[in-house]
Formats: sequence, C-alpha cells, structure tokens
Amino acid sequence: MMISKAESRGRADLYRLLSRLYEREADQALLDSLRGLSLPEDNDDLKQGAAALRDYLAAAGPDAVDELAVDYAAVFLAAGSAEGAAALPCESVYTSPRRIFMQEAWEQVCRLYAGKGLGRAEGRADLMEDHLALELAFQGWLVDNGTVREQKSFLESHLLNWLPAFAADVDKYGRTPFYKAVTRITLGFLALERGLLEGLESGELSMARSFSVRNDRLAPILARLKEQYRVFAPKRFPKRGLKGADLIRYGEIDALTDIVYKEKSHLSAKEVFYPVSQTLFRFNGEECTQEEPADGREIILLARPCDINAVRRLDTIFLRNGQPDLYYARMREKLHLFLLECKEGFDNCFCVSMGSNVALDYEAAVRIDDICALVEVKNEAFLPYFQDEVPIDFAPEFVSENRRAARVPEIRREQLAEITVLDYWKQFDDKCIGCGGCNTACPTCSCFDTVDVIYHETSRDGERRRVWSGCMLEDFTRTAGGALARKTPGANMRFKVLHKIFDFKLRFGEEHMCVGCGRCIDRCPKDIDYLDAINGLSDLLAGKEG
Amino acid sequence: MENIMLPSPHKILSIVKETQAEYTFRVAYEGETKHGQFFQLSIPKVGEAPISVSGKGEGYIEFTIRKIGRLTQGIFGLQPGDVLFMRGPYGNAFPVDQFKGKDLVVICGGTGMAPVKTLLNHFYDHPEEGKSVHLICGFKDLGCVLFTEEIEKFKGKFHVIPTLDNSSAPGFETGMVTAHIGKIPFNSFEDYNVVIVGPPVMMRFAALECVKHGVPEDKIWVSFERRMSCAVGKCGHCKINETYVCLEGPVFNYSRARELLD
Repeated sequence: MMISKAESRGRADLYRLLSRLYEREADQALLDSLRGLSLPEDNDDLKQGAAALRDYLAAAGPDAVDELAVDYAAVFLAAGSAEGAAALPCESVYTSPRRIFMQEAWEQVCRLYAGKGLGRAEGRADLMEDHLALELAFQGWLVDNGTVREQKSFLESHLLNWLPAFAADVDKYGRTPFYKAVTRITLGFLALERGLLEGLESGELSMARSFSVRNDRLAPILARLKEQYRVFAPKRFPKRGLKGADLIRYGEIDALTDIVYKEKSHLSAKEVFYPVSQTLFRFNGEECTQEEPADGREIILLARPCDINAVRRLDTIFLRNGQPDLYYARMREKLHLFLLECKEGFDNCFCVSMGSNVALDYEAAVRIDDICALVEVKNEAFLPYFQDEVPIDFAPEFVSENRRAARVPEIRREQLAEITVLDYWKQFDDKCIGCGGCNTACPTCSCFDTVDVIYHETSRDGERRRVWSGCMLEDFTRTAGGALARKTPGANMRFKVLHKIFDFKLRFGEEHMCVGCGRCIDRCPKDIDYLDAINGLSDLLAGKEG
Repeated sequence: MENIMLPSPHKILSIVKETQAEYTFRVAYEGETKHGQFFQLSIPKVGEAPISVSGKGEGYIEFTIRKIGRLTQGIFGLQPGDVLFMRGPYGNAFPVDQFKGKDLVVICGGTGMAPVKTLLNHFYDHPEEGKSVHLICGFKDLGCVLFTEEIEKFKGKFHVIPTLDNSSAPGFETGMVTAHIGKIPFNSFEDYNVVIVGPPVMMRFAALECVKHGVPEDKIWVSFERRMSCAVGKCGHCKINETYVCLEGPVFNYSRARELLD
C-alpha cells in the first residue's frame, strides 16, 4: 500500500487543526470550519468523537463562542476551580511525579525543537513548549519535514504517553461536550497515526518514493536543498578545456540549467570530496595546527553510476587500507550520493565490462530531460522536498551495453614475473609523455604528494598541502636520495594497468579498481588507448596460454 | 578519529657530520621503536620523507640523512635546539626474536647501514641473545665511510669486513660487498639469518650471491627504501604490485621480496 502526498498533507493539516483547538479559545470562524470538516473514522474514538462534535455544532446557538470560552478557561486554564480540578494541557504536569510545569518532559521537547532550529511560534509565547498545542504543531511539522522514525518517536514519547490521562481529565472536568469530543478525536487520530507509522517503519506500508517534477518546479526545490546542502553536479566551464574547448567538470550548481547531463564530464566526481589540493595543517617553527573545513554544510553529489561506484574504491584506499584518513573521512561523512541516470553511456565507456554500470548505493536517483525530472528518493530525509510532487512509478535504468568492451584478463599472481618483462610495455615508452592527465581524469586514482608551502622565504611559517599525484608522472617513485623504482613510461603504464585490473582486486577482494569510464582515453594528448592496452594484454596472454 | 597525517614537534639535540654529505641528527624522543622502523620527517620548505632510525638511546633517536638534491637540503639549515616535525614510527621491523640464538650475517651498503645499526647494537649489547655476528659493510670510497667509530667498536665482538668499492685504504678490503660474501662460513652455521640493506641493485646482487652460496631464500631479509608521501597506505608512492611497503614493509623476507616486481 502506498501513502500518497495528499494523505501526508491531510495528516499535517489535522495536526495543525487540533493544535489550534487547544491553543486558545474557539472563535466563530473556527466553529464554522469545523462544521464542514470530514474526519477519518477508522476507530471508535474517532467515530464517537466526530459524532459528538457534529451533534454539538448542530445544536450550537449564537452563544456557543462564549460558552466554549468559559469551558476552555475552566478545563485548560483551571479558572474558577480548586487546584487539580482541571486538565492542564502540558506534558510535564502529567509525567512529573509532583504534577508540575517545566519538568523533564519540557526540557526534552525544548531540546528537540531547538535541534530542528525551531523557536517559539509568533503569538504562542504564553504557551509552555510541552503544551499540547505546540506538541501537536511539532508533530505536524515532522510529518512535512521529519523521518518516519522521528515522527513515531515523538508520537510515542511525547503525545501518547500522557494523552489518555489528559483525556480522562477533560472528560471529568469538561462542562460542554465540545472539548470532550475534540479530545476523543485527538486520541483516536493519534492511535490511527501510531498504526500508520508502525506500518511505514516495518515496511508494510510505504510512502510514495518516486515523483515527476516539472523543471519549473525543480528550481524552488533546488533552492530549498541549497539552504542546507552544497549541491554538486557536472557543470560547464566555457573555454577552459583542452585547446580552448569547454571543460565539463564537477562544480557547485546554482541553477538546474547548470547541470550538464547530455555529455560525459571530462574529470570525475572525486574532486568534490577529495580536492585536487588540500591544506592538511599549518605550522610555524614550534607546532602544527590541523586545518578545519571552511564550510560545514553537507554535500549532495549528483553523479553517474561509474563515479558512484568509484567512491567505494576511494573509500577502500582512504578508509580501509591501514588506519582511516581523517581528512577524507570527514568529507565523506558529509557526502550524499544522488544518482544521475546514465542509460546510454558515451564514447570510450566500458562500464558494463567492469560491472560498474549499475550503482544501487544512492540516496536518490534522478532522470533529467528538458521538460521534467523523474526522481526516486531512497533516503527518507529527502522525501519532504518532493512530497508535493506527482507520485509516479520510477526507478533509474542503467546502461546494458557499451559501444566498446574490455576483455579483462584473468591474471594469476605467479604470472606477474612474466608479464612484468613483456616487450609489450615498451610501445608506451615513445608514446607516453608522462603528463599524468589520465591519472587526473580517473575517478579511482587516489595517489597524492605532500607539499609544503612557506609563506615567506625567511620564516618557518607555512602549510602542508596534499596534492593529487599520479603513477604516470616521471618522478612518481623518485626517493629523496634520487633513486627511481620505475624508470620508463612503459613500466609506469604496466604499473597503472595492473593496478586497475589486477592487484587492487588481489589485495582487497571484491572488485577491480577500474570502473570503465574511459576518461583516461578521452583525455590522453597522445591518443594512448587504455582499453586497447587492456585488450592487447589479454590477447597476448591468451595467445601465450594457448 | 586520530589524524594520522599530523606530525608532532621534536627538539634537535645535536647534529654530527659523518661524511661530506651525511649528517646524523639526534632528536628528542620518548617511546619505543623497533629495529628497522622509520619516521616521516618534515623537511622544511619541501615536505616529508621516510627516514630510518639509525640510532637510539635514553630519550632520543637518531636519523642519518644524506645531503643530496632538493629534497633533503632544507633539513641542513636546522640547528640544535630547533624543532623537527615528525610522525611515526612506521613499518614493521627485523624479526629479532627469530634471530635469537642463531648466527647473524649483516650485509649493508652505504647509508643502508643506518637501518641495521640499532639491530647491530642490540646484539652488541646483548651478546647472550645471539651467536656470531658477521658484518660486511661496503662504501664507495674512504670519504663515504659512515659510523667509523661504531664499526671499530663492532670489531670488538663481531666479524667485520669493511670494504671500499674500488679503492684501497688501511683497514678496508677492496671490492663490492658481493665479493666478500664467500668469506662467510655459512657451512659452519647451524641456523642463521642474513640481513641485506642497501641500494636496490646491491640488495639484488647480494641476495643472489648468498643464494649461490647455499643460503635458503627464506633466511634472507631485506629492507626497501621507497618514496613515501604518507607512510600510512594512502599516497600510493611505495606500492609494488599488491604490496604497500609502508604497511607490510619496509622489511621483507627475500622469498617475498623477490616476488615484488617494479
């Protein structure tokens, strides 16, 4: 069963209406609106409460507003009665042993509201934070903005825990049937809500998770997302590419039109969470001080399946190879991966061969065209942004066949000696100029150098940065003493190819490092074709075997 | 989460000139290091480089650094009293426990003596833990000889063959270390280990020479010097095939080291 956005809207509206009823005395307009109200009648409390309310309203005369004001004051404000002969609508009164205001429950809800950035609403300054009116209003806000777990938790810990006792007091002290009926309805509605939320949490019920959004409606959604998140996507940088062409790389977007979804980005998404150059710490002659991130906001990264699958490979290096790296970990924690659907692929893509055409560990998936976007939301925290949109049935599709394919050789460790000395690698000695462009474009290349930058020639004040490096650079293995472990471009090419399609998997299990995005091929100024290099090796080994 | 990239300051206690190009920095340090481990030293105005611990004592450790090229030059502007940033110790170590009660052969070339010096001193100070120690230490020429005093000291308890590559001098043999491996009485040993540290070419030929003299491969231990920007398995510089020298090395049994192919 699916719960539609209309139902969510109805739920939040009913919370707000109930909140208003407890907040202050009823006026004529409120009574009029109640007359036309249709309420759910899913349980006895709801049925009987609604019937009692209808009866009261039907019989209510011109004095009803005054009559209800007196009743409100008597029941909820304890006007004209000895202490205790009222139903004071604050949770602390019902949950503290001495039945007094501003106890533990009050402190808890204050913290909860503050945690959501909610202050006291205008005109409600005279109400305690744990007043029923405010608790119902908050629960309504959670329906719009919170997760199922948050809604269920607040409902159980801060509404249902005291409502039955409160309702019993209203029954006892109420003078008209009106507030008794309202309380009955409240009880019935909250019971209904509990069932709904339990169903949603257990998965028996589900919220609509896929939506169709017209592009003009996406703009305000993006604006709302940008209040809380930095949003990155492939973006066009005019005339910044090779030979004056446009460069497409990941950048923070301001508008939907910034997203380049019809072309492959020249650089991968890694620069968003693993910057090209990053200050690790600052130092003087005495001490080092860790650099803290300038922007604490979380990040939404809209990326294709290859790039999303590449994130897991970088995680492997930075978080699981030896101790985890703090700088990477703290960026990674902020990262929310949104899948940019990729159905066709592009020139030189071979993701299908590498098994990275499908990515399922995303928080939302998006199909964009010129008219609208289809969105599937997996992480509930993002549902509120899309709840008002048209529910549809959408799940992203993936490339099932590329124009090119890799024949990844099954290499055994003991073949390595033979592969290392193959003349095959020498073809790259003359061709490769060691520019490292392939490493830069690769979504899984993770290597870096550390570089110290000194602010003034005569001082020791400066900072240490880590800067992307690459195994195809001439000096990549050069030690302080000047020795070079791999001396030729051919040896470097062998190192790179084997890392991407052999030894990463040998070390970490699971998957090859290469995701088959083909950017290294697109990027090479000398037209070295890495896919041909893999396939050539494969053929050579097959020939030798046979 | 611990910040594994953040170094800490350590005071330089003294700087001793070993040769025209090599200096030993004694740095204040409290803590354990194992024989063969290294630190990432911050070289002012440049960055970090992995440097082996060449000596240790109460409250200090030593690094012997060659003044060569751009990378290490910055460190030679420092004076005793200045602060050196470093992090570590990193890497595994020579398996001293496996060496106990057995004969030990150490073959080193040039600055390759630095990473084995604390190991040698361990068996010098605790002769009861080992049996015989044979040391072949090769240097290019007389001007390149390191740790002269300690080599003299070792002669008191060890069988020492100091040698110069292609010149002669009193107290030194002539020739590469490989030329002297035949002098080691492997046949008289009951059980033994061979440690080889030096430039890659020297290690390769010394190991081959040992094998030629009947040394089983798994009795040989080598230590790799690699470029490292992180020493914690991230920067990729020291990787050989599926092996990260910083995490699994720098000390390797030769039976494994010979499978690591650059």
